[in-house]
Amino acid sequence: MSIPVLICDDSSFARKQVQRAMPPDWDVEITFASNGEEALAAIKAGRGEVVFLDLTMPVMDGYQTLERIKEQDLPAMVIVISGDIQPEAVARVKRMGAIDFIKKPVDATSLKNVLAAYGLYTE
Amino acid sequence: MTAATEKHLDEELRDVLQELSNVAMGRAADLLARLLENYVILPIPVVNLLERAELNMALSSLEEVKSVSAVCQGFVGSRIAGEALIIFNDTSFNDIAELTNFAGEITPQIELELLMDIANILIGACLKGLAEQLDVSFSQGQPVLLGQHLSLRDLVTDQAGNWQRALTIEIPYRLEGRNVDCDLLLLFTEDSLKVLEAKIEYMME
Amino acid sequence: MTPDQESLSEFHWLLEVLQTIDVGMLVVDLEFNVVAWNGFMENHSGIAPQDALERNLFDVFPDIPRDWFEHKSRTVIQLQNRAFTTWEQRPYVFKFKNNRPVTGTAEFMYQNCTFIPVANIRGKVESLCIIVYDVTDVAVSKLELQKANQQLKYLSRTDRLTALFNRGYWEELLEAEFRRQQRANRPTSLILFDIDHFKPFNDTYGHTVGDDVIRKVAEVTRETVRNTDLAGRYGGEEFGIILPDTPPQEAVLLAERLRERIEEMIVDSHDQRLQVTISLGVAGYDSELNDHNQWIDKADQALYLSKETGRNRVTLA
Repeated sequence: MSIPVLICDDSSFARKQVQRAMPPDWDVEITFASNGEEALAAIKAGRGEVVFLDLTMPVMDGYQTLERIKEQDLPAMVIVISGDIQPEAVARVKRMGAIDFIKKPVDATSLKNVLAAYGLYTE
Repeated sequence: MTAATEKHLDEELRDVLQELSNVAMGRAADLLARLLENYVILPIPVVNLLERAELNMALSSLEEVKSVSAVCQGFVGSRIAGEALIIFNDTSFNDIAELTNFAGEITPQIELELLMDIANILIGACLKGLAEQLDVSFSQGQPVLLGQHLSLRDLVTDQAGNWQRALTIEIPYRLEGRNVDCDLLLLFTEDSLKVLEAKIEYMME
Repeated sequence: MTPDQESLSEFHWLLEVLQTIDVGMLVVDLEFNVVAWNGFMENHSGIAPQDALERNLFDVFPDIPRDWFEHKSRTVIQLQNRAFTTWEQRPYVFKFKNNRPVTGTAEFMYQNCTFIPVANIRGKVESLCIIVYDVTDVAVSKLELQKANQQLKYLSRTDRLTALFNRGYWEELLEAEFRRQQRANRPTSLILFDIDHFKPFNDTYGHTVGDDVIRKVAEVTRETVRNTDLAGRYGGEEFGIILPDTPPQEAVLLAERLRERIEEMIVDSHDQRLQVTISLGVAGYDSELNDHNQWIDKADQALYLSKETGRNRVTLA
């Protein structure tokens, strides 16, 4: 059965970059969101078992989204993909429940390694 | 921004430039955070195509600021050319001095040192980040001090030149828990726009 | 030529160019030992290569501000990000004489510098390259322009006769003070005064004597006011003083002191020993005032009252 994957980023270019970096043979069903609010709705609708989440976004940013996911105990494995590569940002999102952090621009190898580490994808 | 200027910049191009800037400014912020040992709050960069008369609008986030200090630095490479402008709110210097462990009186000379340190990092890292993603490289010219303790109005009106329109990327940096704000403004010439478009098209393939 | 010889010859002319280029180039290792430099550095410093190479930079150039230089270098090395310094920060990093020792006006060479981290093949920064640009001409003309602008600014703000602020600028200051009061509302006062019977006096002794009196009154005013007070020549024989952060009662004391000093003052002019008095009006800021003109009116009315009630006195509005 395909995994419901949610890509949340305010930039459509960034969303495409993530999509293109995903393993081509990974069996997934992709949903897009352009801010945290949309992402929460999608997760609640069961379309975000795995979430690729950006941090700097309008309406509701990545930090706020992580907070809500934790508060509402939503079933989502969040991997943050961000241009904010300050060690403090990485530490913060991990404290807030993200399982991992990938720095932008995302590339196929690092994405695959993270997915493999959590058993979400096997070659 | 006015609707008239907005429609000239293709939405897809704007989106890509915003994302590229986002990554570039993240790297610059990382360096700044390491220098100052303080978390830098990352904003959403604002990309626009502006007429000269509208430049002051690009500085909207600094509108209320009374006194600023500014440095600009030209860059060029792969037929892309422009200028980077750092506009520093003068009230920021106390906190910056504290973060760099500078004790003593903050003279205009010290302010200039701090201003140049930060300009070097933000401009250098941001341009490098953009260039790497676009697969180009930029030469940076000598930085020029536009002035210390200027009013924002004087800063904008004093800048002569014959440009009419420019692609602007505005990145307002803030430090968490500190009274520090400075704007990085990247201005690209109109000619550069075509080159950027071509580069970006190539990236999208 | 063999490929080896070819690359050697290419290397040779590259070095030749670096050696001759009219820009300074210096490479130091992470302990600040000089690894390489070019002809520009050698010629301008007058130091022979054998006295510089392999030696510590701060020994070779003892004038370099060491702390500053080390701080810049550390940042460049740690962040792997080049740094630019301008002559406005420091006129020079390396103390060289002006490139035009005969016709140049500056004593030394103004410099912009670029600090570039130099990484080895593995990407680790192992040395630091410093590029030195001679920007003397730019710096000198910019400094001259700044000086001229400053002079122009001074002239456009100053009354020629008295060297106090002229009316236009003084009114600008008053307006600014008025706006500041609207936000801060701290006690601030205004004094207006003029010289008693100046017109007939001027008619009797002539304008040059009258000018001497005005100049002397301005001089005593300048000596009496405090550093933070702003004194200007408001009209022919009329003057104004803005007293920031001063309640009207205190302003009256200062006005009274000024009145006394002018009364005691003797003007020696064209074999005449003259004495004059002044009448003063004091008005504190209050929130009823709509603009700075009303503030002036208020002080002017008090001044008028001083005139009406016998002159040579202070009236508080």
